Amino acid sequence: MHYMILIYEDESVYGDKNDTPEMQAIVAKHWDLVSDLGDQYKTGAGLAMTSSATTVRTVNGKQTIHDGPFAETREQLGGYYVIEADNLDDAIAVARRVPVRFDGSIEIRPLLHPPGK
Amino acid sequence: MIEPVLRADGGRITAALAARFRDLDLAEEALAEACARALSAWADAPPANPAGWLYRVATRVALDSLRRSAVRHATALPEPEPEPTVEELMSAAPLIPDERLRLIFVCCHPAIHPDARAALTLRLVCGLSAQEIARAFLIAEPALLQRLTRAKRKIADAGVPFEVPGPDHWSERLDAVLSTLEVAYAHAHADGAGTGRHAGYAEEMLGITAALAAMLPSEPEVQALAATVRFAEARRPARVDADGMMVPLAEQDPMLWDTSLITEGRRYLARILTHPLPARGVQALIHAEWCARESLADAPPWPAILTLYDALLACRDDPVTRLNRAVALAEVRGPAIAFEEVDALSHAGLADYLPYHALRADLLARLGLADTARRAYDAALALAPAGAERRWLERGRSECLD
Repeated sequence: MHYMILIYEDESVYGDKNDTPEMQAIVAKHWDLVSDLGDQYKTGAGLAMTSSATTVRTVNGKQTIHDGPFAETREQLGGYYVIEADNLDDAIAVARRVPVRFDGSIEIRPLLHPPGK
Repeated sequence: MIEPVLRADGGRITAALAARFRDLDLAEEALAEACARALSAWADAPPANPAGWLYRVATRVALDSLRRSAVRHATALPEPEPEPTVEELMSAAPLIPDERLRLIFVCCHPAIHPDARAALTLRLVCGLSAQEIARAFLIAEPALLQRLTRAKRKIADAGVPFEVPGPDHWSERLDAVLSTLEVAYAHAHADGAGTGRHAGYAEEMLGITAALAAMLPSEPEVQALAATVRFAEARRPARVDADGMMVPLAEQDPMLWDTSLITEGRRYLARILTHPLPARGVQALIHAEWCARESLADAPPWPAILTLYDALLACRDDPVTRLNRAVALAEVRGPAIAFEEVDALSHAGLADYLPYHALRADLLARLGLADTARRAYDAALALAPAGAERRWLERGRSECLD
């Protein structure tokens, strides 16, 4: 099965830019994990800060453009992995290894189809 | 005819089917269909091995169903099962592999909502009907069915494996199983009178804890839970008096307790006394201490109980343990000291926990504070306790004299 692993953290712990030393340090840890995962890793990326987010909302068929992420939350989506795993336990084992700086939540969601199909 | 077979072996059959086909719904539907076929097939002559018959027929039903859906979706056909002969169907004893342990770990997976785990385990592993579980959990049947459906869908969609977990997370996963069984047993135990239909499933709890203890002989917490369930069940005949009122443990007549269950409980406990005792082991010891009382003429073992609660607190310090310890503390060191302990728990999230209000009421009454005691009894009664406990609380309240 394929799973998406979504990383939620308070983005302010990385400072207010995308290339702070804190961010570089966590990115290095992510690359370590990616190389450990080998073939299990399919794709993934870090996301730019939510200050760069734009949301297209559709309500009653009418679309409007908004500044910012779709919801203001204490922890924001900051990056994702797509992995292939035998089952949920296998995916949980990967999720436990995803680095976070302080507190964070790692959500595991099965993909309905293999990616890119 | 079918009902007792399902009670005894339904869990084993469901587990074997689920483990083979990796599909809980398919396992349940196939067993239901096999039961429907048994109604007519068994009318003349029931088979020598009814459970084996059901398992075999359900396996064929499941394979047929997979075959049909494979044809519909043009995917690979499952391997066909050799057609059994009539003799086989009537007499042979196909070995039903015991996959209940795997099924228990699936039902109690931490990725399943805690509310659903106990219900799912009772439904699939213990073979209880949704109606029985809904009654025991005091929720409407449609709500329970929805909970079960959602949990099964989560298991299928999220890819919860039909595996016994490996050593890395063994203790966490086993703890989820044991907590689930504790919740399930608490519902069976809650009806002290044992007249409600769900009290009947205490029998299944004895069965499943025995099975688990046999499958995991070296896990002290598993043995401890099997012991605790037996000690608690042994006291059922003494828990309610002739007027249908709850009898507190210290006032129960030990002559009414079921000695064979107590002996069984001691046997499980004896297996783990050589190890350092985990929290559930200490809890089992507390039950064992009570069950060692032989008659009402013997003094209740309060000092020993208090010592054991001190030990329990050392390995599991939570508000419920503190509350239970306070019951013993009141008897050994008096209600004033116990009340201080209980009062310290006022912000511990016990507002909806009936024993908290009941103990508070009792201590206040013993301290002569009738007015506050009555209010505490009202708080307990407002939580809608079952008949036997409600009568006991009402009597306590009526005895609060200014």
